[in-house]
Amino acid sequence: MTKGWYGDSNESDLIKAVLEGDKTAFTEIVSRYRKMVARTVKGMLGDSVFAEDIGQEVFIKLYYSLAEFRGESKLSTYIQKIAVNLTLNEIKRKKRFSSMFSQTGNNEMKVIDITVRDSEERNEAKEIVDKALMTLDPKFRIIVAMRMLQGYSTKETAEILDLPLGTVLSRLSRAQEQLRSILDKL
Amino acid sequence: MNRSDIKNFLISSLDADADLNKVNQEMETVNRMYDFSDSFKDRLLEKLFSRGLEINPQIEFLRTISWAFPRIALTGVAAIILLLISIFLMEDTLSFNTILGLSESYDENIISMLTGN
Repeated sequence: MTKGWYGDSNESDLIKAVLEGDKTAFTEIVSRYRKMVARTVKGMLGDSVFAEDIGQEVFIKLYYSLAEFRGESKLSTYIQKIAVNLTLNEIKRKKRFSSMFSQTGNNEMKVIDITVRDSEERNEAKEIVDKALMTLDPKFRIIVAMRMLQGYSTKETAEILDLPLGTVLSRLSRAQEQLRSILDKL
Repeated sequence: MNRSDIKNFLISSLDADADLNKVNQEMETVNRMYDFSDSFKDRLLEKLFSRGLEINPQIEFLRTISWAFPRIALTGVAAIILLLISIFLMEDTLSFNTILGLSESYDENIISMLTGN
């Protein structure tokens, strides 16, 4: 394989090249999977500067853990797992931080109004999806993001989230109920 | 699709038996909008490989040690063998005393050397 060109290379060739120290191969991995990671991270955290940072952390963690990747699952699944874990950690961190300053105890669901900065580039569907996702409970948000934004099946979602299939199905159903209620208010 | 159709589609996309091909197809335009900023890749590579430079001195040190150790060890072993051969040629024996250079010394000489008497 010519060093420096990996446009048509398969996953294993890319991984091998990265492990041999080829930075161009890693750049190719970033190019291939950045949108997938963006959908997961931004779908769950919203379009914020934190999402960019988490996205960066996903690839940094991938780079340093690639030697441990045994190829038992697809590389995309492995990257998704990293993205989901880091994003959930960030959500927990934010929740802890906000609970330190807010003790209202109001459990009523509020529809979060997201400021749309580049509104001309976004369409209505994106706006609705963003608002709905940001309003959903995080444990449902991840299930919904996996289905709507990544198009994963229940089985794939269960594999990425390390959850039993039954749990994913029940969360999907509860997420649907919550989503219906959120969308009614939009 | 109008606003109400979009909402209905989003709800139905969560059905356990939803047609995933249709979900992907309908969501394609929305999904394409999710991306990081233009500078994402450059910032990432800079962070990654400049981070790499930070740990480079350690890595370089270990790499140098692992490169130099076998060469130094081999040179040492060669020197020891040459020394033993030269001792054997000069003394006709390879006893512990000849290796230590004590073959022609008697105990009395050593004691007088050590005590000064």
